[in-house]
Amino acid sequence: MVSRRVAVSLRRIFLFMVMVLLAALWFVKQPVGADDWQPIDPAELKMTSEPKAPGAPAIYLYRQVDRKETGRTTHTELNYVRIKVLTEEGRKYANVEIPYSKAVTGISGIRARTIHPDGQVINFDGKIFENTIVKSRTQKYLAKTFTLPDVQVGSIIEYKFMYDFADYYIYFSQWVISANLFTKKADFALRPYERYPVQWSWPAGLPVGTNAPAEGSDHVIRMTSIDVPAFQVEDHMPPEDEIKYRIVFVYSEDGFESDPDKFWKEFGKKQFDQTEKFMDRRKAMEQALGETVAPGDSAEEKLKKIYARCQEIKNRNFERKDQLAKEEKYKPNESVEDVWKSKEGTGKDINLLFVALSRVAGIESYYLLLSGRNEHFFNQKRMNTKELDANAVLVKVDGKDLYLDPATKFAPYGMLPWEETGVAGLRLDKQGGTWVQTVVPEASECETMREGDFRLSDDGALEGQVKVTYSGMLALQARLAERFNDDTQRKENLEESLKYAIPVTAEVTLKNKPEWTSSDEKLVAEYDVKIPGWASSAGKRVLLPLGLFSGAQKHTFEHTQRTNAIYFHYLFETKDLTKIALPAGWKIDSLPKEVHVDAKAADYRIAAEDKGGSVQVTRTLKSEILVLQANYYPTLQKFYQQIRSGDEQQAVLRQGESSAAN
Amino acid sequence: MPQTRKFAKSYRLLVIVFGLMAAGVLVKWTVRASSSEAPAWMHALVGVPVPDHDEKTDAVLLYDEATLSVQPNGKIKQFTRRALKILRPGGREYATVVGISNSERKLLGIRGWCIPAQGHDYEVKDKDAIESAVPNVANGELVKDVRAKILKIPQPEPGNIVGYEIETEENLFNLQDSWNFQWGIPVRESHYNLQMPPGWEYKAVWANFAEVKPTGEGSNGWHWTVNNVPGIRYEELMPSWRGVAGEMVVSLLPPGGAKKGFESWADLSSWSFTLANGRADASPEIKQKVAELTAGKATTLSKIQALANFVQRDVRYVAIELGIGGWQPHAAREIFGNHYGDCKDKSTLLSSMLKEIHVDSVLMVVNTYRGAVTAQSPPQKQFNHMILGIRLPDDVQDPALEAVYKDAQRGRVLIFDPTDEITPLGRLHGPLQGNYALFVMPDSGQLVRLPTLPPASSGIHRRGDFTLNVNGALTGNVVDMRYGDPARAQRYLQQGITKKEDQIKPMETLLSHSLGAFQITKASIGNLDLRDQPFQYSYTFVVPSYAKTAGQLMLVRTCLLGEKSRDVLEKKEARKYPVEFEGPQRDSDKFEIAIPEGFEVDELPNPVDIEYSFGSYHSKTESKDKKLIYSRTFEIKELTVPLANMDELKKFYRIIASDERGTAVLKPAAAKVGDAGATSH
Repeated sequence: MVSRRVAVSLRRIFLFMVMVLLAALWFVKQPVGADDWQPIDPAELKMTSEPKAPGAPAIYLYRQVDRKETGRTTHTELNYVRIKVLTEEGRKYANVEIPYSKAVTGISGIRARTIHPDGQVINFDGKIFENTIVKSRTQKYLAKTFTLPDVQVGSIIEYKFMYDFADYYIYFSQWVISANLFTKKADFALRPYERYPVQWSWPAGLPVGTNAPAEGSDHVIRMTSIDVPAFQVEDHMPPEDEIKYRIVFVYSEDGFESDPDKFWKEFGKKQFDQTEKFMDRRKAMEQALGETVAPGDSAEEKLKKIYARCQEIKNRNFERKDQLAKEEKYKPNESVEDVWKSKEGTGKDINLLFVALSRVAGIESYYLLLSGRNEHFFNQKRMNTKELDANAVLVKVDGKDLYLDPATKFAPYGMLPWEETGVAGLRLDKQGGTWVQTVVPEASECETMREGDFRLSDDGALEGQVKVTYSGMLALQARLAERFNDDTQRKENLEESLKYAIPVTAEVTLKNKPEWTSSDEKLVAEYDVKIPGWASSAGKRVLLPLGLFSGAQKHTFEHTQRTNAIYFHYLFETKDLTKIALPAGWKIDSLPKEVHVDAKAADYRIAAEDKGGSVQVTRTLKSEILVLQANYYPTLQKFYQQIRSGDEQQAVLRQGESSAAN
Repeated sequence: MPQTRKFAKSYRLLVIVFGLMAAGVLVKWTVRASSSEAPAWMHALVGVPVPDHDEKTDAVLLYDEATLSVQPNGKIKQFTRRALKILRPGGREYATVVGISNSERKLLGIRGWCIPAQGHDYEVKDKDAIESAVPNVANGELVKDVRAKILKIPQPEPGNIVGYEIETEENLFNLQDSWNFQWGIPVRESHYNLQMPPGWEYKAVWANFAEVKPTGEGSNGWHWTVNNVPGIRYEELMPSWRGVAGEMVVSLLPPGGAKKGFESWADLSSWSFTLANGRADASPEIKQKVAELTAGKATTLSKIQALANFVQRDVRYVAIELGIGGWQPHAAREIFGNHYGDCKDKSTLLSSMLKEIHVDSVLMVVNTYRGAVTAQSPPQKQFNHMILGIRLPDDVQDPALEAVYKDAQRGRVLIFDPTDEITPLGRLHGPLQGNYALFVMPDSGQLVRLPTLPPASSGIHRRGDFTLNVNGALTGNVVDMRYGDPARAQRYLQQGITKKEDQIKPMETLLSHSLGAFQITKASIGNLDLRDQPFQYSYTFVVPSYAKTAGQLMLVRTCLLGEKSRDVLEKKEARKYPVEFEGPQRDSDKFEIAIPEGFEVDELPNPVDIEYSFGSYHSKTESKDKKLIYSRTFEIKELTVPLANMDELKKFYRIIASDERGTAVLKPAAAKVGDAGATSH
């Protein structure tokens, strides 16, 4: 006999198991929403091109990113993609690769299908491969990979999958709106983790017609974008993060301050306290200063000596990473005294040492937090402290501000590396700091001077010497670029650099040993150069082109179409002075007129002079552009075309009786 | 403007933040080296003289030893031991060791050491390595089962010695191995050991190196040594590495075993045939598609073309190469169903379809780097591509079918590459021309040389009409017709363009090589998708200051467009290897420039006539009917220029460079300038 109590329990157990089974089946069957594909507009089946993206190999008809950051469970992101294939090239989008980190992410519910223009659906039932992108002791990055069947021009490719994130992990979400293909419509949604404040921003703005993300009453942040152009990579463009449409979400344990000034003051105070504590070693600094400067030195002399001493300290940020990896026992510095004694530290350590020493020397000196402009352009209203990713020093000399970065290897006194110029910096003080703007060096501080002394031979060849002097920023850049190379490689690179500057084939041999390891203002390279066939003959005349160092501009901005703004790292100037001695008996028939193109922010000039038996060519090019909006591109392109045209000018020579150039 | 949302702070921050970008991940990889002693065999190399080298040598291989031993279970164990001395910073790359495994090859162990010039030794082991099998989706190679275990040996500084050992066990598809003892850097000594069970034999064939006889070791062991092998430094347009690097290919011959190393090309052919056999059987769907594609086609050739076009363009290139899948095609029905496949698959499917119209075909394997396999090469699996030989029926007689191989046994065989989506039926991409391919046949497979097409089958032909005004501005249009590989290159370029307005960019690039300042006012592309027709660019452009003034004179460069010259030989170091051209080519240019009223020709550039066995160049500028007429032809006649002809080739290119800068001088018609009168040639 079975008791009633037991019977009830069994029934309950049975019901519970049925419910569990049903729930399990539901989850198995509906990982991403099973076959809840979005309906297809018949017009999309028939379409052969997209008027707003002419020539596109494929377009996103629809993209969806739906993320739930609920922290502990159901922490997921649904991705849904629908692509229309418009050309044979566009079929490559049928190959799908979904990367993920095995430790904190899983992928489930991959479903895919191909839809032919006639509406025929071919469901993907092939194999999903798992490729190892990289696997090490601590990390495992994989990719789910598959390819859709029977994809033709005109097909629609559709797939969806779910990222399953590990519990207790929260990510800085990012909606990347700009994609490699034109997007007809994209829906984004984020249900953020409720326990931490979240803030979102759109550094590059929003596509035309897209409203800012808004939070609904269900606490889900949503945004829809329509007709987003494909992202295009171009030469001389600003950092991608600056021009790609994207929404960046940031969580903070401490919450966000709505007033940026207040936010940065609070941040600045914390930073100030930390750095002051690090520098609080007056006695040790006084002793160090005594070993560095002489009592009678002027303030500037002291600064230069301190600067030189700090530059001798090994900056670990400038060492090769595999070199550092072997040093397992490295102990981070805890004070400027440690930095001084260990003669080694991070860039921050070295700059703080400089501040500490200069203060002891009686010089007003501040530590600066900067935002380098190599990866993004700083906006303090975004209140993202991670964007203050560089540091330098501000000193007052004779009442003037002087920006220095002794931690940057090879940086001449008074010169910041380009990414730290023209950017906002937080000058730390007790009150939390003051915003300052670092100086953009004049074009003359980034100068290349080329002096050529050549002889023209009867066969049209040039032979002679060239001296190239790189100044300021360019000397610094060259030394940094070559710091891990040996002299043989540096010689080869310098020779290649001059070959590149000469628009025809040339034999170039470096003759001197440039100073690679100093912070001198200048870097000088001297070469022997032979250029076969530089001059060409026309009957009894010989034509001598003027633009001997025009190679670098030969293909600059050669295209008429431009999408993105133009971005140069720094202003620059080149000055070329070339003297060409003519063979005995040869005469100058005529010289071209001087060409001068003044485009306000850029200037070019080329002129030839008769120096009695020789032709002297002077060529200058000055660019004072950092960022130029795309609508000014035609003017810039025209300027570079005028440079090329000017460089093509030729002097007309008359040969002697027995000469014959080829 | 950012917006802010606030929530109460209640928990400790357990937020772990990192960006896992959908496009990829960044990996921080730190080597945790221990300071164990390097093995004695490495320490024995400290202080040994390094082989001859120049200042550009990054490292030298001090010691290289490969041991192949056949296990009782038939599996092959391979043990590699190497030590290198780093000489320059560029030599650090030799301290990154890669151990390869796949479904048939197990990586048993990988270890590395460094003996610094000063200080203690370092050791790294398997656990310090990372694994990777990065797929190459963009190029269609979707999945491979090849895994790389990558070990970074610490302290690879100049002056230090790095070394490593790798052990693998493999189930070889074929009992064959190759000893690649020549490197890009000098090798001091290299050893190869072969250990076989009793009764086993071997056959060793040497390539690009004088044969060295082995010494016997043990019951059935053999040992080879080579010393002081010079490094092969890369040169532009040099022949394929395989075609110049010394190696020994060893075929293992077990007693009475069916599975053995290849003793002949026929062996390799037969093995490949076995893998492909039956794969080309047509399914009902394939038969139906063939019927559909050939319906209404009157001739055999038009049917072949329809099928070739289908496989070439409608079947997407996707490679899924797992295990034997790297060598074995999928079944035709599967390929057809998916509409994708790799080179083997595409060749197999086309073979299947051709059979349905009673046209025989034969699979062929080839290496896309010409020279990697030659008539002198030992028979081994050095092929990386499969194409198709189509036996042309007698009724197919069309001179447009140029890529035809002929022999008595097979008759006329049209060589076709269905993976190459651009080169039309009848033609052959340059690197395949003059290359060696192997017919995949059951018993009589043979290595044959693929045809070399006449130079006229490939080239660029430009015709331009221009008007020069008194201010030096040039206006005109060019029709640029391209055949063969130059057409293929532009079609490929255009395929990758994602915006219609950017289609002009390749034209702008072409012009920018010859003109400083120009504005294209009109441009069009012809026959982009008609791949059996010449590709065509037409462009009208203005060059504001084309003619330069010098006093009263006007200077006009007569070779308006095109760069035929190359600086491949303008190097300080003497050339060590022949120059290998991609393919034969014949180009021509003709530009007519109407000179402005009030000017007449004063001087013209000299004509050029150069004829060498490998190529020719002829150019002239004439003055006729108030026009400057520049014309030239450029021809590459031979695929290879031997070392003995390097001076000729250098001179050839220098003369062309000079001609391309040749300038005509115009003077005012009424003026007397100097003593020169108008001349014409």
